[in-house]
Amino acid sequence: MEIAVTDLVQVFGAPPNEVVALDRVTHRFPSQKVSCILGPSGCGKSTLVQIIGGIEPYTSGHISIGGKIDEPLGTNSVMMWQQLNLFPWRTVIDNVAFGLEMQGVAKVERHERARALIASVGLRGFERHRPPQLSGGMRQRVALARALIMQRPIMLMDEPFAALDAQTKIVMQEELVRIYEANKMTILFVTHAIDEAILLGDEVVVMTARPGRIKEVIRVDLPRPRAQEMVNTPEFGRLYDHALHLIREEVLNAMRQQDAMAGAA
Amino acid sequence: MRGNRKGSDARALLYAALPYLVIAAVILVWEMLVRLNGIAPIYLPAPSSILRYLIAMLADGSLLYNLGVTFMRILGGFVVAAVSGILVGVAMGMSKLVARIVDPWIAALYPLPKISLIPLLIIWLGTGESYKIVISAVTAFFPVAISTYAAIRQVDLGLIKAARDLGANARQIQTNIVIPAALPGILSGLHLGMGVTVIMVVAAEMIGGSSESGMGYILVHSGQVMETEKVFAALIVLAIFGAAVTNVQKWIDRRLAPWVEPQR
Repeated sequence: MEIAVTDLVQVFGAPPNEVVALDRVTHRFPSQKVSCILGPSGCGKSTLVQIIGGIEPYTSGHISIGGKIDEPLGTNSVMMWQQLNLFPWRTVIDNVAFGLEMQGVAKVERHERARALIASVGLRGFERHRPPQLSGGMRQRVALARALIMQRPIMLMDEPFAALDAQTKIVMQEELVRIYEANKMTILFVTHAIDEAILLGDEVVVMTARPGRIKEVIRVDLPRPRAQEMVNTPEFGRLYDHALHLIREEVLNAMRQQDAMAGAA
Repeated sequence: MRGNRKGSDARALLYAALPYLVIAAVILVWEMLVRLNGIAPIYLPAPSSILRYLIAMLADGSLLYNLGVTFMRILGGFVVAAVSGILVGVAMGMSKLVARIVDPWIAALYPLPKISLIPLLIIWLGTGESYKIVISAVTAFFPVAISTYAAIRQVDLGLIKAARDLGANARQIQTNIVIPAALPGILSGLHLGMGVTVIMVVAAEMIGGSSESGMGYILVHSGQVMETEKVFAALIVLAIFGAAVTNVQKWIDRRLAPWVEPQR
């Protein structure tokens, strides 16, 4: 499902202390592709996906999802959060089945569907555990299953793997690649890791430091199915260097802004 | 661990027994001090004579009766405070309007030492059961209501956003997210409430002159007739009772909120 964002502006706070988080962002995120949104901290990349997911309101602009302009956002998308936001009092199976439970799906059916998804993300046998009893990687899988059970055509991912150790991160990236290639949903994946953006994305949308604008869109034509080994190919290296240069400029900009703010204060 | 297995086993046993050994040593020193110095039992009775009194009070049924009476009063006050405190706290947490109206009352009445209400309550209610339950319930209401309100306000906004994203409506979010997320905070409010209920019931029993039963009555009455052994016996029973109540509450907490302590 295509997501077309036109002149999207997000301003936090009231004048004179207003902060422009997003400044006239315009982009078409292609249907059934993975778009990675890359940028320095505070560039508004999380804000962008939260607006598209109907979680945050926005100041002005237009968003059309699947060709429908300004419909209530969020009905076609599901979010996977940086903090995961699993419900600690619910068991794994009841976390995964939460969305179905809210829809009023009967317990037998929703548990059956949740059990199948839990098995498909490799957590069979942990249905009755609670999130605090699981490792970081296992919790990621629960969050992934909880989002997948909604069967929404758009998946919004806000730095979901940022807190993982390097090895677990690789495994989860491969898991996501596998799920994407099997289901072909539209994915917006926010990250600050260049290699992750290139490995997962069909395009990498590079954003500027505050105010967040789109600096450049890098097409990634690496073949699918993707695998971790591709990071060693010359093509990957070329894309990496290109993104690195763009990002370095913006990180330096962001640091200068912070220095200026610290100086003014 | 180094050393042979037997050695470390013995050390573990000693470690486990240590607190009890210390208690035994304190009692022994106490007993010896009283006997060797000939301290009058009115000031400090020996542990052995406290024990004799304790057994006598158990045998004639007065101890269990008075403890039972105190326990029922505590339960009465606590249940009233828990139900009203949770209801008010939840209402405040879920409705800005209710919070706006109730907040000044709580802010004004919470710092008031509740024990200072005793004369007024005796005028209104006499010194019967209702006075003891009301004074303890009023005291315990505040920590329960305030903890409940705080627990609901402090629910992680991320969980609410996630639930909404997964299709939950406002009512579903309140029952499925806000209440369970606030439960640990509500339970700790109930701990605070139980603590002050015990204090206020015993205090009310000590002050309401006409009350002829309860642990507070034993304390005051025995103190007035200089039966210091009975005073100590009542104190020991109250301490054990307090510890038992705390442990029962902890057990209930683990039942109701097992996710708070991850059991690996």
